[in-house]
Amino acid sequence: MAELTYREAVSAAIAQEMRRDERVVFLGEDIAKAGGVFKATVGLWEEFGDLRVRDTPISEQAILGAAMGAAMTGLRPIAEIMFSDFLAVCWDIVCNQIAKSRYMTGGQVDMPLVIRTANGGGSRFGAQHSQSVENWAMMIPGIKVVAPSTPADVKGLLAAAIRDPDPVIFFEQKSLYATKGEVPDGEHLDEIGKAKVVREGGDVTILALALMVPRALEAAERLQAETGISATVVDVRSLVPLDTQTILSEVKKTGRVVTVEENPRLCGWGAEISSIIAEECFYDLDMPIVRITTPHIPLSSADELEDAMIPSVDRIFETIRQEVD
Amino acid sequence: MDVIMPQMGETVAEGTLTVWHKEIGDRVSSSDILFEIGTDKVEMEVPALMDGVLTEILVQAGETVVVGAKLGAIMAKGEAVNLVSPKPEAEQITPKFASLSLDRPKRDLSKKLSPVVRKLLAENNISHKDIAGTGRDGRLKRSDVLAYLKTASNVPVPEEVSGAIPGDGIMVVPFSYRRKMTAEHMVRSKATSPHVLQAVEVDFSAVNKARQSIGPDWKRREGYSLTYLPFVAKAVCSAIKDFPHINGHIEKDRLVVFERVNLAMAIDLNFEGLVAPVIRHADLKAVTEIARATNELATRARADKLTPDDFSNATYTISNNGSFGTLITAPIINQPQVAILSTDGITKRPVVIQQDGEDLIAIRPVGILAQSFDHRAIDGSYSGAFMRRVKEILEGKNWFELVS
Amino acid sequence: MAKNTVTKKKIVATKARLNDDIGEKKRLTMFRLQLEVRHIEQRAHDLFFQNLIKGTSHLALGQEAIASGFGAALRPDDYTFCTYRGHAHTLVRGASMTGLLGELMGKECGMLKGKGGSMHLTDVEKGAMGSYAIIGAHLPIAAGAAWQAQYNKTEQVAVCFFGDGTTNIGAFHEALNFAVIWKLPVVFVCENNLYMEYTPIGDVTAVEHPAADRASAYGLPSIIVDGNDADAVYRIAVTAFDKARAGGGPSLVEAKTYRHSGHSRADPGSYRPDGELEEWLKKDPIPMYRQRLLDYGIKEEVVIGIEEAVLQAVDEATEAAKASPTPPLEYAYTDVWADGGSSWRN
Repeated sequence: MAELTYREAVSAAIAQEMRRDERVVFLGEDIAKAGGVFKATVGLWEEFGDLRVRDTPISEQAILGAAMGAAMTGLRPIAEIMFSDFLAVCWDIVCNQIAKSRYMTGGQVDMPLVIRTANGGGSRFGAQHSQSVENWAMMIPGIKVVAPSTPADVKGLLAAAIRDPDPVIFFEQKSLYATKGEVPDGEHLDEIGKAKVVREGGDVTILALALMVPRALEAAERLQAETGISATVVDVRSLVPLDTQTILSEVKKTGRVVTVEENPRLCGWGAEISSIIAEECFYDLDMPIVRITTPHIPLSSADELEDAMIPSVDRIFETIRQEVD
Repeated sequence: MDVIMPQMGETVAEGTLTVWHKEIGDRVSSSDILFEIGTDKVEMEVPALMDGVLTEILVQAGETVVVGAKLGAIMAKGEAVNLVSPKPEAEQITPKFASLSLDRPKRDLSKKLSPVVRKLLAENNISHKDIAGTGRDGRLKRSDVLAYLKTASNVPVPEEVSGAIPGDGIMVVPFSYRRKMTAEHMVRSKATSPHVLQAVEVDFSAVNKARQSIGPDWKRREGYSLTYLPFVAKAVCSAIKDFPHINGHIEKDRLVVFERVNLAMAIDLNFEGLVAPVIRHADLKAVTEIARATNELATRARADKLTPDDFSNATYTISNNGSFGTLITAPIINQPQVAILSTDGITKRPVVIQQDGEDLIAIRPVGILAQSFDHRAIDGSYSGAFMRRVKEILEGKNWFELVS
Repeated sequence: MAKNTVTKKKIVATKARLNDDIGEKKRLTMFRLQLEVRHIEQRAHDLFFQNLIKGTSHLALGQEAIASGFGAALRPDDYTFCTYRGHAHTLVRGASMTGLLGELMGKECGMLKGKGGSMHLTDVEKGAMGSYAIIGAHLPIAAGAAWQAQYNKTEQVAVCFFGDGTTNIGAFHEALNFAVIWKLPVVFVCENNLYMEYTPIGDVTAVEHPAADRASAYGLPSIIVDGNDADAVYRIAVTAFDKARAGGGPSLVEAKTYRHSGHSRADPGSYRPDGELEEWLKKDPIPMYRQRLLDYGIKEEVVIGIEEAVLQAVDEATEAAKASPTPPLEYAYTDVWADGGSSWRN
């Protein structure tokens, strides 16, 4: 075991896979010599050189288009989109081309590519550089969607994404880059489509993703200490494929569900999961489903305003304390 | 002047204040509507009845109080205004989240039964009135029902069973919840109803002709076989028209007779227990519809997808043991019904028939239908006549017509 | 409008150069390819009016020489990318006629199992890497395929066909810039048929030659070719491919042509000025090419033999496609993922 930061785990995963498979190549803006604007890909250009780690112009459509063409013809590209907000600039390639080509061609086309992107708020970058857009990707049939919360999960799930024969969008939370965690030594490979129960409790089941996971855990500790409410926390990790079995079985154990979502309220990932729970676990629910989300507004840049909008430990604590009897 | 809960009817003892129209500090005039109340008989807008300022609110919206209880106070004009802040709530929302908290309106769930509570109550045939709620504001929550069930079935399990040690040719099988609940039901039913068993032997050849004619098509289309059971169910429903007392509930010293037949079909869950979900208004359904409804219930039962509605208001029960080939079964009545029918194995037997005035032997599919009835509500002659009618319908009706 | 001052390099097809560097075999191939495209497009037109083809389709009647000229110059392992007006480009790679017509009719024998339709014809085995319905999307994708060839040093080339309207969309500019700076072996071919859907291209473009006049913005030479002369197209193709395979980077070619029908089935093309269609029909590539074959000593029986063979092949394919059943319902649930399925949950 070694202690790595979330950002170190990103380059560790890419290096692990590039060493293993000659077909893995990596392109993006400022990812090579500069090691990425978030310093998440430091060391890769030094190890793998110009041929396999390439800087691009500011051309998101070209970046993803080239990744798609390379994936269709035998390479395994990783493309970086610097801020997940910029997916809007190249959304055609994501949702009309990458997601649909295999299907429309009756299965002829291969698409083993990974799009990595820095997602979410908490860093005071303002409304156009702080969005949580994993729910945008969840809605398009044909793309897998992953959002890890710990360095170990970054390493294991990014490696799994690179090995996956299907297109994966890998959402790294930019405010988690500096966080540290234990990562297994040697080759580490996790499984996409599996949620993780990171805390067990009997009174309420909290479903959380990415940055919301450590906050939910902290709130759960406070709830236990101050109110006796004991909470299960499930790190959802993959939105597509979704580990409905784990989620539903954890919901049935307590009969109470709370989602904690960084995305704005409408059509957040928790809305879909809530609807599945309402349909399939209705007769196991002891309380209406509760969603804790960023309100349906763009994010402000000022410290206090941003912190008040994105679900905080305090808000998670208060909401659960009031709702759970 | 005090504002009190008014008396809204002679027999009404309490009322629920549903909404305040004014806040503390508001000026009121005597004709302004001050608040609204609901009782179990009436809903009403209540005027202030005097001019002044509303200075006190002691009872919040949603609270129920007895008639005459003080709800608040109005200070008349000219008197010193003494603002009294509302009773602080037990849990105060931290102010900085007041506006965030919620996209979600506040609601009072204390009187509501959650889905899981309703399911547990229905499955175990108990009433919410039997259990005290320990949730917020007295809400009956899941853990309350589960705790009740634990104590209700607290048959102390002896540590050793008469000195037997598992492994010595002895296996101990503890009762599951379902087993415990079934055990209690059965004991209660036998203790409550004086059971009498009556049986008839039925020649199923008329039914069989119909079954054979559409059987293969049915199997291909629906994916399961068309058995004798829906025919028996149909015959029972028809016979009930002539013998309505069979289709009822016994309450203390009277029989409640129902017009519609809600037929409970006892379904075995892979030898792990019995459930008896209901086909609603089976008397209005055709044989084919009954067959489909039975299959649908069995499928859902085995997938553990039955809902509380599936168990409500059964008026008669059929227990089908036919697939085991048994001769006869004496079933236990599903309380508070009057009777229950068992269908057993149907096998080819030699029977005596009349043809052209002569007695001949023919081979016919024959089976025994046995009804246990509650002798408090009906006698052997009524039940016997009912059973004769069922037999007549099964043997004489043109089933062919009804299924083609 | 700013006038472009860069000198244009023009390749002219003069008679003196014919039948030497190209040869009879290649010419017969190009003749056959153009005929196949013409007859398939004509058949698609007729089947649409018999209500056997639904939805929409975009026909390349009149533009056959471009796909055929390039088609004859391509290696089997090269990649081609085209637009929704892509029946021609897919056919010249050797894709099955039955598969093509079957796909247009939404049948089980369709080359996309009935799931893509006219606008997405693809035959990966033959290197036809897709027909793309979102304007401009396939330019960077073609650059990506070229990247693979460069990375693996295979000397494959990626060819990307698109219309004049594409030169005004963002992805065009990103792809050109990207391909040039990475020196990718990709050839971008603009088929200028004078109309961006229903609008004359001149009304919506800042320069006279929508592709050729933009080449200099990316440091590329301006290349214009007569898109109705298959031989001229072939020569340009060979030049561009040689450059790309040798590591010389991308080319941008503008081929001048004209479409005989409307933009799509819904369009009768009444926005065209009177007489324009007639003028261009005089320059119909196929009769011109046929005459050229005869002029250069190829026996007419041989030519007729090819004409009859192509018509027969198209007829057989039509019958086979008509006889094919509609795709089974299960097809709707397949091929979202590499494992063939479509499941998003457990």
